[in-house]
Amino acid sequence: MTSRRAFLPLAFFTVAILVWQTAVVHYGQRATYPYPMGVVDAAVRTIEDGSLVASTSNSLLRVLIGFAIGAACGIPLGVLMGFVRPIGRAVSPIVDSLRSIAPIAWIPMALLWLGIRGNAALFIVTYAAFFPFVLNAAQGARLIDRNLVNAARALGASRALVVRSVVLPSALPAILTGARVSMAFAWGSIIAAELAMGIKVTSGGSGAVGLGQLMVSTLYVRRDVNGLVLYMIVIGIISLCIDLAMRRLQRSLTPWRT
Amino acid sequence: MSGKIDAQSLSKTYVSARSGERVEALRDVSFSVAPHEFVSIVGPSGCGKSTLLALVAGFVAPTSGRVLADGVPITGPDPRRGVMFQDYALFPWRTVLGNVEFGPLARGATREAMREIAHRYIDLVGLKGFEQRYPHELSGGMRQRCALARLLANEPEVWLMDEPLAAVDLQTRNILQDELLRLWGDGDDAAQRRAVLFVTHGIDEAVYLSDRVLVLGRRPGRIKETVDIDLARPRRGLRNSAAAGRYIDYIWNLIRDEAARAIVEETA
Repeated sequence: MTSRRAFLPLAFFTVAILVWQTAVVHYGQRATYPYPMGVVDAAVRTIEDGSLVASTSNSLLRVLIGFAIGAACGIPLGVLMGFVRPIGRAVSPIVDSLRSIAPIAWIPMALLWLGIRGNAALFIVTYAAFFPFVLNAAQGARLIDRNLVNAARALGASRALVVRSVVLPSALPAILTGARVSMAFAWGSIIAAELAMGIKVTSGGSGAVGLGQLMVSTLYVRRDVNGLVLYMIVIGIISLCIDLAMRRLQRSLTPWRT
Repeated sequence: MSGKIDAQSLSKTYVSARSGERVEALRDVSFSVAPHEFVSIVGPSGCGKSTLLALVAGFVAPTSGRVLADGVPITGPDPRRGVMFQDYALFPWRTVLGNVEFGPLARGATREAMREIAHRYIDLVGLKGFEQRYPHELSGGMRQRCALARLLANEPEVWLMDEPLAAVDLQTRNILQDELLRLWGDGDDAAQRRAVLFVTHGIDEAVYLSDRVLVLGRRPGRIKETVDIDLARPRRGLRNSAAAGRYIDYIWNLIRDEAARAIVEETA
């Protein structure tokens, strides 16, 4: 049943790959245009020499650290903004103006302040991850049902318990939505940040090379178009995995939402 | 006065944050609830019934006047006054068990005590077997029972109930009324009963359940009349009695005109 449904797209995919391969090989433009077997070769080569795994995990590590910092700062601020109206009114203008600046626009400044090691990229990622957390946590806390707060207080709950067992769970679905957006933003900007700072680091021989930096050296130093495609595929697959994982997390953390 | 609850000259005026418009919800309302007494509040839409309950619960402060509980002015919510909400206000992220455990948890019970108390009251309201369900997996009547168990688990001295049976169908409602009376101690020694303040728009319900009915008028909300319901307890079997019917007619005549006006004004 499912295998029959999968047949048509799979067949089409195979044909497309074959056409792509023959076209590039036939016209002999292998230096400029990537082709499937070349991508496979690049995959084998970079997996064997360890550079693919190392750079991917370097990038992912930065994303995870940035995501964690963004969550640790963004969630409390957002909840506070949503639940305590005066704070929300006071802080919103600043938050709104800062979040309108695309994270990658901070790259020059980040390079100036933090240099071209890993920290500039980490700053960009944290910046990207921070705002979706703030906005969604604030939204979640703002929409909280006051009756539930009253119910908890009438049952004897202290302020701390109200925050822990009413405000946070109320805001949790929105926070998790924020987490999904944060992750997507963070992963998107890490590549951009690493691309921007890439070449110097690689020529400087740093160990903390991420996927974006690897792409830069692949483009300018090794001139390997197949490698570039490989990294694009890896980036896409990781985005997909991140989103699937976040969706699953959302389902398992908020079982009361059908 | 020395009731369990004493409301003294309560007035409440809301000021709309947007338009600055002032709405007088209650004017000069005084009443008291004796320690073992079941008192209902009825009145047309917009008479401030729910506001009155929120004042006694301590969720909002009166514009003037005060409410005393055991002679002490109320300044905020207190677990000795349990509240049941119109939409039940169950915590959607907690199971039935988790909801019922919340009161004991908030008051610092141990894990074992919490569990034991919760199971006892879940049994009492007939929700055994549904402990692990979330509120959205329950019917309206079951949610209502869960809310009742949550209230009872805190063993409050006063039950404040805001149209708790408004959202269930008529048959369920009749059954739950009898359940409520049973849990309150309708058939037992009066000394075991708690003080109840019960807001409803059902006059028949108010008459069937209560010792006394406060009839409110609207715009502004004020007490029009207090009606003592002199029916024997237990009430079971008196639901459709002639005596109950007379009380219902009497109260209905008190509020009919205003209720009719409320319909017109609310559609306008």
